[in-house]
Amino acid sequence: MTATATAIPGHGRVRLRRGLEVVFWYVLLIFLAVITVFPFVWMLLTSLKGPTDAIFSVPPQFLPGHPTLDNYKNVLDQLPVPTFFVNSITVGVAVTALNVLVAALAAYPLAKLKFFGREAIFYLLLGTIIVPAQLTYIPSFVLAVNVFHYYDSLPALILPNLASAFNIFLLRQAFRGVPNELIDAARMDGASELRIWWSVLLPIIRPSLAAVAIFTFVTSWNDFLWPSLMLHTRDHMTLPVGLVALQGFFASDFRSIAAGVTMTVVPILIFFLIFQRQFVRGLAGAVKG
Amino acid sequence: MTERRSITPYLFLIPALALVATFVLYPIAAVVYYSFTNYDIVTPPTWIGLGNYQHLLRDPTFWKALTNSVVYLVATPIVIGLSVLLAIVVNRQLRGIQIFRALYFVPAVSGSIAIGISWRWLFERNGMLNSALISLGILKEPVQWLTNPDFVLPIAIALTVWAGVGYYAVIFLAGLQNIPEELYDAAQIDGCNSIQKHWHVSLPGLRPQIVFVAVISSLAALKVFDEIYVLTNHTGGVLESGTTIVFYLWRQAFNLSHAGYASAIAIALLLVTLVFSIFLVRGLERGTAAA
Repeated sequence: MTATATAIPGHGRVRLRRGLEVVFWYVLLIFLAVITVFPFVWMLLTSLKGPTDAIFSVPPQFLPGHPTLDNYKNVLDQLPVPTFFVNSITVGVAVTALNVLVAALAAYPLAKLKFFGREAIFYLLLGTIIVPAQLTYIPSFVLAVNVFHYYDSLPALILPNLASAFNIFLLRQAFRGVPNELIDAARMDGASELRIWWSVLLPIIRPSLAAVAIFTFVTSWNDFLWPSLMLHTRDHMTLPVGLVALQGFFASDFRSIAAGVTMTVVPILIFFLIFQRQFVRGLAGAVKG
Repeated sequence: MTERRSITPYLFLIPALALVATFVLYPIAAVVYYSFTNYDIVTPPTWIGLGNYQHLLRDPTFWKALTNSVVYLVATPIVIGLSVLLAIVVNRQLRGIQIFRALYFVPAVSGSIAIGISWRWLFERNGMLNSALISLGILKEPVQWLTNPDFVLPIAIALTVWAGVGYYAVIFLAGLQNIPEELYDAAQIDGCNSIQKHWHVSLPGLRPQIVFVAVISSLAALKVFDEIYVLTNHTGGVLESGTTIVFYLWRQAFNLSHAGYASAIAIALLLVTLVFSIFLVRGLERGTAAA
């Protein structure tokens, strides 16, 4: 694509042009990277600033002159950040495992079995994708208080998030890609539909399951509005809700707020680095049919 | 076909259908009912007919919120344009390109609250932006970015775009890698320079991805809440300058306990989303037909 790849080794001018082009692309890539990560780096550096380091100054001071971990200690003394973290993990893992299970169960008959009402059920589920979740929050709030009695507890964040029409839709696409002969062969051997689903189909669509699971986890991890409606006791808060509480608590103490933000961002970044490949594959596969 | 197999499909579907019925379908029906009532969540609703809707039509804050939500949709074309460009930039074999692709994805996974807070401090009166602009001599004194009604919504939109570009670029990058190399070669033979090649080959080739991103990013734009909540310190901004439909719904329902009125706002949100989706689905059909 670039420089049409016809650079003959040793041909000085072509080589120079190619070299300049590479430099140009790296300058652009680095410039874009700076724009992207600047707020995060700035948060990290600010969280390490001591009380005598300026927050606002002309010209701006980036590096902490007297680096310290006191801001982190300060945040951890005032707010149970490790508890927020455990709560976020608990909710994220429960929602992801159960949501993927429910979606994989529902997607199989929609993709591979013939039965009365299949189209109607599929389009009903598909239609719920465009319904904004916030529309349901008032009745869900009433249900949480009057029916399920899980207000201010973690099940309030888990139960309403166990069915995702989007995940059902994506897994249905994955099941449709599996050849029918495999299923027929298993039926000949006398396997039940549940057994076919579990031992034949799920292993085949594992990459799709992984992609759906990762996106469900990140969405749950970053979810804010519904958790903020449900959680009031500090010890029950998830990280985003706790972060807003922290911002209110420390008001204008930007060093401590920056420490809190850094503590919430780092775990999900590590998660992303570990599963980067699956993220990319999942996103790339989302637009195929 | 055996008897057993004929009920099996429904057994697989029961968990999903029960959950959708409880947490999506029932709430929609309940919201429709509440929207015709006076309701504060604590005491039982009382029927008032079209009262909430009549109030809605005369409520300037509602119209402001609706306008802001529609304005927010400009995030969609901007984010598509920038993420297609970014995908073209990162679609080349350079050492370390994987590291750059990963870096651009960081805002998408960091969470809207965390990045909202960092942006808020960027734009604070005593924030980084003011001190940088003053030291460059562009400003004489600090600007109150977030308390100026002209700036709140553009800053929120910029935040949404900034956080989304790396994410959507991954989708476009996959699309670019599916376009056959011969098409670019043919365009070159026809005398296209590299910009013309992208215009005549990349853009048409990316059509399914563009339609997909248009759908998901505009549905997200119509639902925006977190960014506004954090940037305006849950006020909605001076003169409601940052108030969106979902933000107004939240305030009416959960701050002011006007759940009946908020339900009417929710129905308005549903109608806007439906109308918009119909346009988008038409686009989607055309997009996939062309692909």
